Amino acid sequence: MPGFLLRRLGQALVTILGVVTLIFFVQRLTGDPTYLLVPETATQADIAALRHQLGFDRPLAVQYFDFLGELVRFDLGQSVVQRVPVTTIIASRLPYTLMLAAGALIVACGIGMPIGILLAIFRNSPAAKAAAGFVLAAQSMPTFWSGILMILVFSVLLGWLPPSSTGDLSHLVMPSFALGLLSMATFARITRSALLDELSKNYVRTARSRGVRSGRLLIRHLARNASIPVITVAALEISNLLAGAVIVETVFAWPGLGQVTVQAILARDFMIVQGVVLLGAFVTVLLNLLSDLLYSLVDPRIVLEGAR
Amino acid sequence: MSRVSKAVAAVLVATALGLAAGPALAAKDRFVVDLVNEPSSLDPQVQWNPDSYYVYRNIFDNLVTRDDKGEIIPQVATAWKQVSDTEIEFDLRSDIAFHDGSKLTADDVVYSVKRITDPKFASPQLGQFDKITDAIALSPTKVKLVTAGPYPALLAQLVKLSIVPKAVVEAVGKDAFNLKPIGSGPYKFESWQRGVNVQLTRNDAYWGAKAPFPAVTFRAVPDAATRLANLQAGSSDLVVTLDADQAAQLKGSPKAQALIGLTERVAYVRLNTTKPPFDNPKLRLAAAHALDKQAMIDGLLGGHDKPVPELLTPAIFGWVDGIKAPEHDLAKAKALIAEAGPAAKAEIDLATAPVFDQRIVQAIQQMLTEAGFNVKIAMSDMATYLKRAQAGPETTSLLSFGRWSCACQDADGVLFPLLHKSSGWSAYRNPKMDALLEEARATLDTNKRLAAYKQVHEIVAADVPVVPLYQAVVIYGAAKNLTFQPTPNESMFINRMSWKD
Amino acid sequence: MSVAAATSVPRRKRSSPWRWWPVGIIALVVLVAILAPWLAPYDPNQQNLLGRLKPPGTVSRSFHYWLGSDELGRDLLSRVIHGARISLIVAFASVILSGVVGTTLGMIAGYRRGWVEIAVMRVVDVFLSIPAILLAIITVAVLGPGIANVIMVLALTRWPRYARIAYSQTLSVANMPYVRLAALMGASAPRVLFRHVLPNIIGAVSVVATLEFGLMILFEAGLSFLGLGVQPPTASWGAMLSTGRNYVATAWWVATLPGACLFVLVLAVNLTGDAVRDRLDPRHR
Repeated sequence: MPGFLLRRLGQALVTILGVVTLIFFVQRLTGDPTYLLVPETATQADIAALRHQLGFDRPLAVQYFDFLGELVRFDLGQSVVQRVPVTTIIASRLPYTLMLAAGALIVACGIGMPIGILLAIFRNSPAAKAAAGFVLAAQSMPTFWSGILMILVFSVLLGWLPPSSTGDLSHLVMPSFALGLLSMATFARITRSALLDELSKNYVRTARSRGVRSGRLLIRHLARNASIPVITVAALEISNLLAGAVIVETVFAWPGLGQVTVQAILARDFMIVQGVVLLGAFVTVLLNLLSDLLYSLVDPRIVLEGAR
Repeated sequence: MSRVSKAVAAVLVATALGLAAGPALAAKDRFVVDLVNEPSSLDPQVQWNPDSYYVYRNIFDNLVTRDDKGEIIPQVATAWKQVSDTEIEFDLRSDIAFHDGSKLTADDVVYSVKRITDPKFASPQLGQFDKITDAIALSPTKVKLVTAGPYPALLAQLVKLSIVPKAVVEAVGKDAFNLKPIGSGPYKFESWQRGVNVQLTRNDAYWGAKAPFPAVTFRAVPDAATRLANLQAGSSDLVVTLDADQAAQLKGSPKAQALIGLTERVAYVRLNTTKPPFDNPKLRLAAAHALDKQAMIDGLLGGHDKPVPELLTPAIFGWVDGIKAPEHDLAKAKALIAEAGPAAKAEIDLATAPVFDQRIVQAIQQMLTEAGFNVKIAMSDMATYLKRAQAGPETTSLLSFGRWSCACQDADGVLFPLLHKSSGWSAYRNPKMDALLEEARATLDTNKRLAAYKQVHEIVAADVPVVPLYQAVVIYGAAKNLTFQPTPNESMFINRMSWKD
Repeated sequence: MSVAAATSVPRRKRSSPWRWWPVGIIALVVLVAILAPWLAPYDPNQQNLLGRLKPPGTVSRSFHYWLGSDELGRDLLSRVIHGARISLIVAFASVILSGVVGTTLGMIAGYRRGWVEIAVMRVVDVFLSIPAILLAIITVAVLGPGIANVIMVLALTRWPRYARIAYSQTLSVANMPYVRLAALMGASAPRVLFRHVLPNIIGAVSVVATLEFGLMILFEAGLSFLGLGVQPPTASWGAMLSTGRNYVATAWWVATLPGACLFVLVLAVNLTGDAVRDRLDPRHR
């Protein structure tokens, strides 16, 4: 097991290096931020001078190794637009991202998983059908549309909730729902199909024929086995929520990482993008590692790669 | 204007502004402004973007400023005198204090000029000030600026020169000053919760017109539909950057209104005159005849914007009345295209970016297509658009839509970059044009300059390197209680606003 | 079919024609997309600046706006019809491209293991570690908007999803006795993969594919919202919806019609996805 862990950690490092390298070079394919920083009246000489000052006229390889050098010293660099360290920017946005991710996960799991169980067990009941319709409908709408409809109804028309930005917890309600409703369907689907998978297996039939009660069965055996796919999906969803809430954050003016990253991509503020993606990769790799471990714990049939 | 009358004007303006703001010191404790993005930096000298500009201009004073009509009036400088073609002397107010209590003196002005013109400082605004070769403090209230050659746009540029406190900047350094800027303006920096908001509090010791609100919050709200909703829900008092259709939605609103003002910004279509089909002047003329400016304005822009026959707006020095531009005439356009034969059928790319009004861009495409051109819209994000627009005639697009403001209200900041061969933006090669533009920027004689620009306008109308479209408006959404006159340079001075409950 | 229908239909109402409605919707949209040039009453890009934002039923100049007009006076009905084409093309092409690439690589990785597994799964990890929407925005910013670019970007960002699910499913399946037996009896690797592994994992993959299909339509819409979708004036439902949302309060039809089409299509696709899963998955027969 320690050998496996070491190997897995090594792979995680390789993954992160891959992410960083990919993002570094892909971003630089369209030039640099200089044009966006200067007034329209700036001459080509002004632009060239600023580019030189910012170091974007150096060969890409030099910039890349500079960047790696800073990275191993845990320095994420400075934003060329805001001229403050990237860590400052990430630190200011991270709490909002976590709040939104938590809110969305609560909505998604809180509604999605019970509906998934409902769907698997009470297959034909009208309530289950209605729930299924609701789950799928919630997933079928672009958030930039549902978001603005929510704002118009609950803020402008009814005045129940603040339309955007931050403040007390009421500001979190609409963004959490807008984001959570999307993942809710995913959780319901996966919970349902995982449960169905298990229900169709022999041991369940046997147990049922022996008169084991459904509730007991659900808790004892089904929950454990059916949790594998749910965990995998949850891990993927969390990383999506972390920086992928781009549109929800834009619509609701929520100051999370997704919003700042999109702005940084469009502004060619490379360091911010690299910092956020690096952070996201870290979290994702970690979650994947954990979900792989859980896999092997709950399903011994799977022989972990590298453990042979 | 003599020095005395300048000083008198200063007092009058200050009084007028003070009166306007005076009775409005009302019940509004916190004024909330929704910008598009958060400021990138509040050090006035290290960035160039509108969202920063909206905020820091309320924290700092400038050497001179413009009134609501666009005339240059005193601010830190009370009067100025051109002592030679390259030297100008400014008298400074002696009663201005920075927010930390220290006096604003000639040293601070000299420091501000030298800081922004130091190439090592790498200010993005360097190009606006690099004609200034020296700044000398003659006395605590007198400063001399020296320029490299006669520089007619100097005062227009100095409108944007914010005065920073030398002692503070030197003591705390660039990074710390960026985090906690100290100026002498009507508002003091209070806090910046990065990503969330910037808060300012009123400078009650301000020397000029006092601001109406004790506190102001600037928030970033990127989605225009959300900004509009914020306003209608009453969660903000002023929002920037709306379009005419959004302004129209505010018409029946009980709480909100649209504030609309013509600006110095000019919308245009630039043609690449070095490549087919637009290397043919007749086809350029055809494009000019095909574009119906009035239909764009009436149909799409709510009738607020104004068509222009020249590549300037009346808010800019260099505007000449009575220029005759090619009229909208579809039949003529079609005839010219038919005459040119198959050359006119080449595919033409029309470069644009998401920030521009896509309705206008699509209307331009439609109008050119109707005349017989084969136009494809090539949208890319702003960074790519800017890079390509300034890449020179070899690689730039055949057509490019843009909205130009030099934020200086001087023709040199519009015509020179868009038409002179030395500029990346220009896709026009005409020695006569280059000579006229150089002549106009090398003399302080306003009549000579106007004469040169008149010829420039005539060449533009006849040879069509660009099709000037319209003088753009700026549209703010505001609470009904707010009185605020949008200015041509799109600045937003809160101490010029007032509030009625 | 819906999650609900999936559970009820195969057992009791097998004969009810109603269970086919999602398929019917998809077929209808496909048909409309194919026949768009003949069905649309007007050129979808023909503007009429005097007839902007007119409600359904208005007649203006030579136009009869059955479903109203948009912000440039274009006929919404014609644009919705042509938009079906663009939205479907983007979704189909990106799902097929990413699905084929991802599944193949995932299966190979899961079956061959060793260095192939390590190489493929590391690349998958790299891609999955970058939020898909951000990767899409970065690459669209590089490539520029446009239909072909959007398809490429979506395929590029989405194939690892298939690879990962195919990989983990293959891991389970490859250890099943009969698969091992087939390999022991001398079946070639491609034969084992396509005859024995693929049928076992296609259910999971196709569920992902249908989920993705709906998601790709939404992704395209999201990119349009950020100004990085298809090039104007091309009509896609996502692009129409993202401009139309600015008029929700004053001209509801501009956003509502493409929005409703998009919504119903995505819903139908998702419903069908569940049915496909139940059919393909041997354990649910």
